[in-house]
This record gives sequence, C-alpha cells and structure tokens, in this order.
Amino acid sequence: MNGIVSELPWLWAGLGAYFVATLIAMWGVVPRFAGVPFVKTKRHEHVVMIFLVVGILLLTMAIAARWIRIGHGPWISLFELLVSQLWSLGIIFFLLYWRLPGLRPSAVVVLPVMWILGSWVLILEPTASHFPATYYNSWKWVHVGLGKVFLALLLAGVGLAGVMVLRRTQRGQRWFSSMPSDAVVDHLAWRFMMLALVFDSLMLIAGAVWAQDAWGRYWAWDSLETSAFLTWLFLAIGLHVRLSYRVPTWVSGLMIIGIFAMAFATYFGTPYISSAAHKGMV
Amino acid sequence: MLTIIQKLASLKFTLVGMVLLGVGASLSYGNPTDIPVWVLVVPMILLVVNLSAAILTNPRINQQSGLLVFHVSLLVIVILAAVGRLTHMDAHIELVVGSVFARQNLQEIKSGPLHGGNLDDVSFVQGPFSVQYAPGMQRGLTHSQVKIKNKRGEWQDKVVGDDRPLIINGYRFYTTFNKGFTSVLTWVPDEGEAVTGTVNMPSYPLFEYKQDNRWTPPGGDEIKFWLQLRTNMDEKNAWVLEQGSSSGVLVVVTSANRYEVPLGGFVQLGNGRLQFDDLRMWMGYRLFYDPTIQWMFFVSIAGVMGLGYYFWKKMNVQPWMVEASVAETSKKMMINDNHSTKRNVAMEDQS
Repeated sequence: MNGIVSELPWLWAGLGAYFVATLIAMWGVVPRFAGVPFVKTKRHEHVVMIFLVVGILLLTMAIAARWIRIGHGPWISLFELLVSQLWSLGIIFFLLYWRLPGLRPSAVVVLPVMWILGSWVLILEPTASHFPATYYNSWKWVHVGLGKVFLALLLAGVGLAGVMVLRRTQRGQRWFSSMPSDAVVDHLAWRFMMLALVFDSLMLIAGAVWAQDAWGRYWAWDSLETSAFLTWLFLAIGLHVRLSYRVPTWVSGLMIIGIFAMAFATYFGTPYISSAAHKGMV
Repeated sequence: MLTIIQKLASLKFTLVGMVLLGVGASLSYGNPTDIPVWVLVVPMILLVVNLSAAILTNPRINQQSGLLVFHVSLLVIVILAAVGRLTHMDAHIELVVGSVFARQNLQEIKSGPLHGGNLDDVSFVQGPFSVQYAPGMQRGLTHSQVKIKNKRGEWQDKVVGDDRPLIINGYRFYTTFNKGFTSVLTWVPDEGEAVTGTVNMPSYPLFEYKQDNRWTPPGGDEIKFWLQLRTNMDEKNAWVLEQGSSSGVLVVVTSANRYEVPLGGFVQLGNGRLQFDDLRMWMGYRLFYDPTIQWMFFVSIAGVMGLGYYFWKKMNVQPWMVEASVAETSKKMMINDNHSTKRNVAMEDQS
C-alpha cells in the first residue's frame, strides 16, 4: 500500500460498486433479456439498489479516511468535490430509485452521467488541500447540503429527460417500453425541476449569507455567483417556457439537459477556472 | 387601462425579460470593467414592470397564496437591492493596535447618495491580534481583539476575525488579509513641539521582502525607512503572526547617511531627533453597511417558502406516479389557463 493514500482503495471499491449497478441497470432494459426471469420479476432492480448502497457505504469510508488523513471534510479541491458529489448523488438517487419504482429504468441515463464524475475523479491527484479560515462558518453546511439536493434533483430530471430524448430512436423506445408515456415522464421530470428550483433558491440564499460573513458582501457578480444565477435563471426560463408554449417532450428533455449542463459547469468548472476570490477556496 | 396592464403581464414578456437578464449576467461574467451596469438594470426594470402587472392581473399568481408570496418576494428583493445600493457604504481602514477608530481615516469610500448611517457614533479600540498560518504560508484563522463600548458606556472586550465581523450601529467591520507592522515614531525638532505618529509598512507577510516607507519631517528632507523584522515566519511549518513575538530594527536612510535604530533608540538628523518608540501591528478592515440585508434574507426565505408551499400543494393534489391522461389533461389546462386570465384557477386543482 506504500504510495497509495488511505482513501483511494475505498474510492476505487465504491466506484466499482457503482459500475456494477450501472451494468445491471443497463442489462435490465435490453429487450433481449426481457424474458430472463431475473429481469422479468424485476429482481435485477433490487441488485442495482444493493450495489448503490454498497457504493455509498464505500464512498462514505473514502470520505472518512480522507477526513482523518487531512483533517477536514471534502469541501475544497476538485477531487474532494467530485467524491462528495458521487456520494450525495448516489444517496439521493438511491432514495428516488427505491421510492419511485416506475422511474427505475432512467438509471440507465443517470448512472452513466454519474460516471462522468467517477471517471474524472480517477485522473485527479488526491493531494491534501488547505482549509481556509472562512470555511469554519456553519452556513457552509447549509449551502453545500442544499446544493447537493439541488444537483441530485436535476440529475433525476436529466434521467427522465434522457428517456424522452432517447425514445426518439427505435432502440430507445424498446429500452424504455416499461416506463410511463412521454407525457407522464415529462410531467414528472418537471416536478423534479420545480423542486430543484426551490433548493437552488435556498442554496443561493445560504450562499449569500455565507458570502456576507466570509467576504463582507452578499453578492458581487463574481464568476461563480454569475454562473449560479444563470443556472437559476435557466431553470426559471424553462418552467415559464413550459407554461407559455406546448413544448414537444423531446424539446422539453433537451431543455432539462441544457439546465443540467449549466449547473454542471457551475459546480465543476467555474470554481476551478475562475481567478476571482470566490473559487471554492480563498 | 386594464388591457395595457394585462399585456404588460404577458408570460412572453417575462421570457424576454429573463433572456435579456441572462444576456446581461453573461456579459457581466467575471465583473469586466468595460460593461455598464445597465445590462443588468434594464432587464430588471422590465421584469419588475412585468411582475407587478402579473401580480395585479394574473389569477394564477394572485389567487394562489404560495405563488403570490413568491412573486411579491421577488419584487421586494429587487426593490430592497435598489434601496441597498442607494444607502450602502463600503470602505477600508488600517487600524494600528491601541488606536481608536476614526471615520476620517477611512480609505476607498464608496457610498450611496442616500447613505444616512450613524458612523460618528461608531467607536472601538483595536487590540492585539494574531493570524495563524499553516505549512506552506497558507493563511488560517485571524483573532483580532477589540474593545467596544456597551450601552452603559463601559469598555468590553470582543474577538472578531474572518467570518465574525464587528457590528456597531449596522456597520460591519471585517478583518482582511491586509495587515502588517508599523513603526511608532516621535519627531523632536530642534525648535518646536515633539510630534508622535505611526508609519505603516506594507502588508506582511505578503510584502515581507519590502518593508519600507517614506516620510518627510516638517521643514526637513524626505526620510526612507526600512524595517528589518524578526518574526515567527516559517515557510515550511505552521506559525503564528503576532505582535508579541515580533521585533525589529528600523533602518533610516537620509540623502547623506544610513542609520540602524533599535527599538527605543533614536537618531539625530539635520533639524531634529527621530525616536523609534515602538513596533506595533496594524489590521486592515473592510467596512460594509447595508441596512437592507436582514430584510433581504427574511423576504427571500418567505419567497422560497411560498414557492415550496405552492409545489407541495400541487404535488399533494396529484401523486407522483399519475396516469398519462391525467398528466396530459393537467398540462393542457395549465397552458389554457395562462392564455386566459379570466379562467378560474380552481379548475386546475380540481383536475
């Protein structure tokens, strides 16, 4: 184990569990296997849930091991942020997967999106980060926690958006034949977006309170704040477009994917390319 | 009149305003200096007009308490932000340990035209402070002691720093990365009265390599100062910056000579004597004043609660996994509802 920091084995094992969950979820939607009793009786969905839980537990260990090693939680570096998001997205998606059985095939979209984060974290160095003085503030927990719920709700929406877009192809229609009609999927996807708007708004409020304490101003249109505001605005525009026009479901799906892409760039791009003070660490 | 207001309340107008605001925010990305603030202000004015009209005329908003609270909150937030800009104050100040806050020492003052805070009554004394550094010169916690007067007029100790500002009369003082050393000097002229003052050196340890400054005594030539400091500074290990464990020698350079003056020492110059009385530290504070921030917080929370209540009610009426026909009917009704402001909104909930 010489040269490998304590959290890496847990991380690799956790990602491995997510990978197995992804493969089984994909196996479950392929029409060729629809007659297999294991798939027919939906038992494969229970196995997906088991591997998701195992992955979450292993990632919990990874976060704990790193916390003990460097003395603070996963708040600062991109490596920490990605591991932390893989963990929280896993938890919230697991809960939705468990409670809303009709939406389970959308895991075929959601889990590969999580794998973008999973692949990314594998190429990053787990170097120790410095914990800035402004991060002792309690609002950090509120801001980050709300942000995690917001991103997870967007991800759930993206799963359904992906279903609507993929259904434009024959293969997609076959894969997601067991799911409700596009109208229902669209309706549910925008429910996730509505909830996401609530949590995004709360996240922005908590972030403003933290920024006031940390930097003596609640809003300064710095790069991350502007990016976060644009995400909120895109979400509001999406909801109003849907109220104003009859939007085809695949366009509705693309709108959700666009909003998620903006949020993704805000979370994982802006803080690490901006030279402004608000860059994830000061 | 009502028709005009109804037209102003159009959802399509809302979308135009939102898109313009998005464009304005994108242009403002990273706070470029060449983009005027109007790219944000104009779309916001459009949206305020649209939102006000919608609140008055759109039953989907004004007959549903949750949505009404949310949209009124948005309106109030924009108004509060405008009031905040008109009444705010931002400034910086460097306070030497042992000195009393004085508003005339504020620098880089920016204040709104309607700023009416009671800054004259703000009084506190800067006490000693310490700044922790992690290995690799990473700045950690700042503990700045100040003395403030309580309601009975007695001095009271308080520790501020980083995300714990000192708040007096609504003015918030935040410690900053900007702090350093100062030489307390007394100039004793050959004729006339002695004067004591301070010469702040550049921020430390950021400018550790250039702890110098200049001063011209009354009736004399310019003097250059250079402070040779001995502190706990350690680039590889953790250390604490504080006045108590720091010492220094003041190097005084005139046009003709160079003198090294130890603490408590003096140097005789052409037309007077310069004493190096003390080595102290100064702390740089950022001052912030905006009487609207608490209101902004409460209004925004109320708005989100309103939105949450609206969604909760909506989702309670229809369970998550609904039949396709129900979802389709619901959506059709929502669209029709937005096109006809006369429709009774209760119908949608009944669906």
